Amino acid sequence: MFRGIIDLKSVWLTAAIFIILLILPPILPRFYTYILALIFVTSLLAMSLNLVLGHGMLFQFHHGVFYGVGAYTAALMLTKTSLPEWIGFVAGPIMAAIVGLLIGWFCVRLTRLYFGMLQISLGSLIWAIVFRWYSFTGGDDGIHGIPMPSLLSSLNNVYYFILIVLVICLVVLYLILKSPFGSTLEAIRDNPQRCEAVGVNVRRHQLMAIVIATFFAGIAGVLFVVLEGSVFPDLLFWVLSLEVFIMCLLGGWFTFAGPVLGAAIMVGLRTFVGIFTEYWTLILGVILILLIFFLPEGVMGYFLEKFKPQVKEAAERGAN
Amino acid sequence: MLQVETVDKSFGDFMAVCQANLSVGKGELVAVIGPNGAGKTTLFNLITGQLWPDRGKIIFKGENISGLPAYQICKKGIARSFQIVNIFPRLTVFGNVQVAVLSQQRRSNNIFSPAQSLAIEETKSILESVGLPDKAPNIAGSLSHGDQKILEIAIALGNEPELLILDEPTAGMSPEETAATLDLIKNLASSRGLTILFCEHDMDVVFSVAQSIMVMHQGRTLIQGKPEEVRENREVQEAYLGGE
Amino acid sequence: MELGQSINLASLGSQLLVGLSRAMILFIVCAGLSFVLGVLRVPNIAHGSLYMIGAFAAYSIFKLFGGSSTGFWLALILAPFVVAAVSLIAERALFCHLYQREHLMLLLFTFALMLIFGDLVKLTWGAKYYSVLPPSVLRGSISVFGSSLPRYNLFLLIIGPLVAIGLWLFTSKTKIGKISRAAAVDREMVGVIGINVSWVFAVAFVIGCYLAGLGGALVAPTVSISLGMDHDIIIEAFLIVTIGGLGNIWGALVGSLIFGLTHSFGVLLWPQFAIVFPYAAVVIVLLLCPRGLLKSVW
Repeated sequence: MFRGIIDLKSVWLTAAIFIILLILPPILPRFYTYILALIFVTSLLAMSLNLVLGHGMLFQFHHGVFYGVGAYTAALMLTKTSLPEWIGFVAGPIMAAIVGLLIGWFCVRLTRLYFGMLQISLGSLIWAIVFRWYSFTGGDDGIHGIPMPSLLSSLNNVYYFILIVLVICLVVLYLILKSPFGSTLEAIRDNPQRCEAVGVNVRRHQLMAIVIATFFAGIAGVLFVVLEGSVFPDLLFWVLSLEVFIMCLLGGWFTFAGPVLGAAIMVGLRTFVGIFTEYWTLILGVILILLIFFLPEGVMGYFLEKFKPQVKEAAERGAN
Repeated sequence: MLQVETVDKSFGDFMAVCQANLSVGKGELVAVIGPNGAGKTTLFNLITGQLWPDRGKIIFKGENISGLPAYQICKKGIARSFQIVNIFPRLTVFGNVQVAVLSQQRRSNNIFSPAQSLAIEETKSILESVGLPDKAPNIAGSLSHGDQKILEIAIALGNEPELLILDEPTAGMSPEETAATLDLIKNLASSRGLTILFCEHDMDVVFSVAQSIMVMHQGRTLIQGKPEEVRENREVQEAYLGGE
Repeated sequence: MELGQSINLASLGSQLLVGLSRAMILFIVCAGLSFVLGVLRVPNIAHGSLYMIGAFAAYSIFKLFGGSSTGFWLALILAPFVVAAVSLIAERALFCHLYQREHLMLLLFTFALMLIFGDLVKLTWGAKYYSVLPPSVLRGSISVFGSSLPRYNLFLLIIGPLVAIGLWLFTSKTKIGKISRAAAVDREMVGVIGINVSWVFAVAFVIGCYLAGLGGALVAPTVSISLGMDHDIIIEAFLIVTIGGLGNIWGALVGSLIFGLTHSFGVLLWPQFAIVFPYAAVVIVLLLCPRGLLKSVW
């Protein structure tokens, strides 16, 4: 299954990073462990968005909705029912994928900006309902003190759980992207008209990609609940969605692991800059502007370009 | 094999195709000619489903295919290349053709195996038959214009079509490239038993290859017939060949 | 489901007028957004921030003149120009260099502006709540349909259509307006006939932002001015502009009316979920007419 699609250097690098991450919790202060875990959750969210954004060029402007739906589903099932926790954990991504299917079905009929705008409206509707339904969803307070299984009561255990789920998801996403489904998705990104002409049902393919992406966003939402023990309507708010969007661009949206890097940079910067100043948003805005002017392919894209200039040049020529 | 019957298509007030007729028999090499703006590409778009006719019928192998979406028409056995190069610039040459082959093998939705290991033989053989095997790992966007036009044809072949539609396959090519493409087209017709419909501006190409020629002018079909008939026809001479 | 007030003709009538006056503010803001969208083809995410700056600037000018009625009128006149100046600086310094880039990058740039403006407002005015009083002639309410309607709302009901007419006159009668409209439809042609497209964009952008500032100044007496105004208004503005038809200013009017009225009737019918009504209306409209009710400019 893996033959030929990974090169040895990346394997060694990834394995090394993984081992380092494994041994960190006992030596790091709690706060850093927490931040790393948060980075893992956010990375998964960003990777799930990039499946349709960078690899599918769908203007998924409100991906956060599916994250929030996954989180809220898990939270509601853990607090309102006495079903075993793992059912709540599984229900999260499933519910997110169902909502993804519904919203996606309407959105794929449209292209680009209209796709994004429709998604923002549908997503905002969901946000508005969750935001106001105090009795069910806790309204603007959210839900707190969500009970976790005892295995997940310590921060270190939570860290490992999230890390393992993240790695599994990343492997699955990688396999999907390297499969015919993935290569066809990228072909659709580059030239949907040509794909239609070679017999690909573009809309159905895009819808399937959306369902997969929203499923993983739902997993990220469940992991958020595991980490924080609470949910808030902010998870469904469009600002978060745009931030995730930026993570993908920051890291490099045409690369595989760029979003992970973007998430790490954003969360890291937000945490550490936030210690010194309350104007983190201003700094993020400035970074974004610098990015737009000087690094349009993102951080990872920039490095890849240095090592593989042929790809970029050809892509530019093809795009003209 | 393909019958286009009194097809109309207008864009607003502009009638791009008007009462067009075309008949393509199995195994034939048919050309559509006409001055710029005569409606040739629009006609091709109507046949392959990028556009839908306002009136008229398009019948392929006995089935009415007008109004079907492009991807379904492709699955019925029609493939085409485009006038303006329409490849996947970021993918490799191999990847470009492979997309079509995978689609043909109904494997586009497969998420369980690495794409790299699928459809290798079929893709390689197509690349060999068009003369691009050594360029397989190159990024498509970096190819020369002539090679990209050949790649266009290769992608269309990936769908194992019965009817291959080529929209100005030699446009922008040097004389050597044009000659090579000509041979390729003749080869494909004979070795794979393909029915080929194409349109061209280069009259030498048309008259040396086509068995039947349809002439379009301002969206209408003037005549369809054997090359000699078309050459002799007065209307065609006036409208298109310069009234010589 | 509890009903907010007893639904009778009086409450329906007053809610209608409240909804209409809110729609007027929304229209002024959305007209600006739509105008920029039509000409530059980029939805300006920072539009809400400029609206917020307009409100804060109005407050400062109002305070500068001792919180008097004159202060209000001066604020109303000057605040939008302050906003226009800010937008001009942003446009000439940064934005105009991006016009050749992909639309996604332009969109992101406006998002960056939103982030920056938001914090600049925080820096300048702090995180407190401010308020502006309407001038004495517009204070209090009058009795309409048996309920009381604030006089200020009536004022808004007059200003709204005036702005609409003004915009219409501008785009159809003045040279700049006509050029902007042409650039919206075909910017290449406009460039070909010798007009500096970049300046057309600058003018359109500044006018759009002026309207945002005007909206902010107008809304100032009716809300508590605080951070977060940008987030709230921009999503509403986006949705309105989408259902109206991208770039279509009359569409912005229609969209604003739908949004404002569904909200006020929502308040009447189901106050807890009042905010859901306009969002649901937007969703319904978009499902039926995905490209908006009126024709988009492109």
